[in-house]
Amino acid sequence: MLSETAERVYWFARYVERTENIARLMLVRHQLILDLPKNIQPDWKLLVDILGVHEEFAKTKRPPNEKNIIAFIFSDSKNSGSIISTITSARENIRTTREVMPSETWEYVNALYLSVAKRKGQALPRSKRHEVLNEIIKACQQITGLLSSTMNYDEAYQFILLGRHLERADMSTRIVDAGSASLAGEEEETEPYRNVLWISILRSLSAYQMYRLNVRRKVSPGDVLNFLLKSPVFARSTALNLAQLELCVQRLSNHEKASKAIHSILNELQNADIKQLRGMELHTFLDELQAQLCVIHNSIVSTWLHPETMHQQTAG
Amino acid sequence: MALSEKTTKPKRPSFDWRTYDPGPFYDELISTPGNPRKAGRGIFSYLSKYSEAHLMARQKATDLAIQEMGISFTIYSEGENIDRSWPMDIIPRIITAKEWSGIEKGLKQRLTALNMFINDIYNDQKIFKDKVVPIELINSSKDFLKPCIGITPRHGVWANICGSDLVRDHNGTVYVLEDNLRVPSGVSYMLENRAVSKRVLPQLFNKHSILPVDDYPSQLFDMLTSLSPRQSDHPEIAVLTPGIYNSAYFEHAYLAQRMGAELVGGSNLVVGSDDCVYMKTINGLERVDVIYRRINDDFLDPEVFNPDSCVGTPGLFRAWAKGNVGLANSPGSGVADDKIIYTYVPKIIKYYLGEEPILPNVPSYLCINDKEREHVLANLATMVVKPANESGGYGMLVGPASTKKEQEHFARLIKKNPRNYMAQPALRLSTAPTLCQGKIEPRHLDLRPFILQGSSSYVTPGGLTRVALRKGSLVVNSSQGGGSKDTWIVDTEAK
Repeated sequence: MLSETAERVYWFARYVERTENIARLMLVRHQLILDLPKNIQPDWKLLVDILGVHEEFAKTKRPPNEKNIIAFIFSDSKNSGSIISTITSARENIRTTREVMPSETWEYVNALYLSVAKRKGQALPRSKRHEVLNEIIKACQQITGLLSSTMNYDEAYQFILLGRHLERADMSTRIVDAGSASLAGEEEETEPYRNVLWISILRSLSAYQMYRLNVRRKVSPGDVLNFLLKSPVFARSTALNLAQLELCVQRLSNHEKASKAIHSILNELQNADIKQLRGMELHTFLDELQAQLCVIHNSIVSTWLHPETMHQQTAG
Repeated sequence: MALSEKTTKPKRPSFDWRTYDPGPFYDELISTPGNPRKAGRGIFSYLSKYSEAHLMARQKATDLAIQEMGISFTIYSEGENIDRSWPMDIIPRIITAKEWSGIEKGLKQRLTALNMFINDIYNDQKIFKDKVVPIELINSSKDFLKPCIGITPRHGVWANICGSDLVRDHNGTVYVLEDNLRVPSGVSYMLENRAVSKRVLPQLFNKHSILPVDDYPSQLFDMLTSLSPRQSDHPEIAVLTPGIYNSAYFEHAYLAQRMGAELVGGSNLVVGSDDCVYMKTINGLERVDVIYRRINDDFLDPEVFNPDSCVGTPGLFRAWAKGNVGLANSPGSGVADDKIIYTYVPKIIKYYLGEEPILPNVPSYLCINDKEREHVLANLATMVVKPANESGGYGMLVGPASTKKEQEHFARLIKKNPRNYMAQPALRLSTAPTLCQGKIEPRHLDLRPFILQGSSSYVTPGGLTRVALRKGSLVVNSSQGGGSKDTWIVDTEAK
């Protein structure tokens, strides 16, 4: 398999996963508004923080209200982290790698793109949000399901898995980070709603029901953190995705470096006593974890996607 | 009153074939106004049952399917929107299986002879010594590549993939208009047109016995396999594309996908010190056996051809010349699809095969010959003038549709460089019913079948029908407002 193709497939999977995550995040925020009293409004800027597009939003010079932030994250093609941009990127990547994926993949991605492209630049009104975002989530899951049920479990598929699991591991840390930051203040009026907010964090990762099933206790911050970051059974927990990444890379040749990096990060995470972390400690821990995920990405790039040095050694 | 309206169901307004009149042209569907040809009865009666409004709805569904399937072609310099949906008319074009079998034989004969000719040009040059074709034509041709002299590719075949353009005149005779031996494109659209019509008009398929076209990618794969320098069950085959900005990028990706081949750009390949071609994979370098290249000769290898090429691979020519990699088509094949060489093809067929040509050429005049040039210059208004080596319908003069000024401009061009021009009487191209702005009207069309030659030969059943969507126009190129049709080879004897 061409390194260039592997790279595109990898990014394709990341962008599809990211699209789904952003859509779910928006949907959960939207549902949260309906639960909260008028005087406590969910902080919309939180979405911008989670997605790491704070500076880009500041550049638009628009007030950070609901309408502007939704438009920015949903349909602003100038924001590389918006849904329309991630879908466009996923589509561009598959357009140039159609030969390695089942042909329906392109049709599904293209249909998803067309359905979102027609809303380019528009803010998503409340009455449409549930329907549109749900459709996007479904379309992403359809693509993921199509690939797992029709694609050969070959090298190309491993790169899809690498992209998907790394993106999931990363998104969980972002949501936990931003979500817990918003709960850091001890303002009295938020108190009765803290439970609702923690549940909304779980929901952002489709984790609420799974948490109930698995943890079987009332929703408490420590348990939620443990579940989202360390659960060995929850599909979007950082630890589970790291474990999957480790399995994936082991199916590829020359995997020693990447495998070692993943293994040590997973070990560290499993040994960390997350329940004890408070405020800044937690933030620092998650920052470090995200940096470690970047290390994994870099080792994938240098081993398989841009192995220029390796080519020179074997050429001729 | 209301009751009576409910009980007498108004008759659906349907298409009245008597209003469809192709005039002096041969029509592919009807023989005389109101009467279908035998092979097209099913389509004829289907269309008569429905109104044009209903057909427009089917056309809309078709356009939507094409958009969703992402069937596109690319137009240069349109800024952000580089992708355009492929234009396809829903009414299929039909040809009987009986007529087709003759055309198929003619196409195989033609490509076989052309390949013998190219191999002769680069080796013994017997045809020049026997004075059947003047050697000056080759010496003055920019497509004659000196580095190819002395090379014989596998099976002695240079052009492995050929797209020949066929047209039919008012008498119903089918002519070869030109042979495309370099990097002919369009075959993916032939396949996709069929996929779309199956999706949109499934009911029509019951009424006809239509030869399937889906086999092409595996035929192409087998042909490419037969070019592999290594005898292996799994030759590594790659489709070499200039990239996403090429107008046919969709097709490159499509064919690679359907063949299970790698789609590569020039920078993904390296030629090693052993003169073999390798591609850069996640496991290091892997040897490539056959390359289906969709890059023109000029840009293939900056070491031998255009040194500024950034889409090719240095050393590729060397690897091919040494027989370490198969290239389809071989560099230098274009020498035989020159429009001047075209006029000699009937002689070439007789010379190499000792057979009469099955498919006729359109009568042609070479401007390099004084008498013929005079005839052309005196009759510019009724002729089509073509430059010797341009494709895509560029740089042509279509006499009947031209202004006095354009004719004068071409007269000057011809006098300045007669070798570069040939002319043909403007044919009265056949028509077929086409849905145009909600009306079924006759439009002119041509046909591009694809012929493969490796260890054996293959012709696609049908090909890509291109149709000029503007009334009276003869220009069918998609880059200049042409559309396309699904092409049905219909077996009228099958039950």
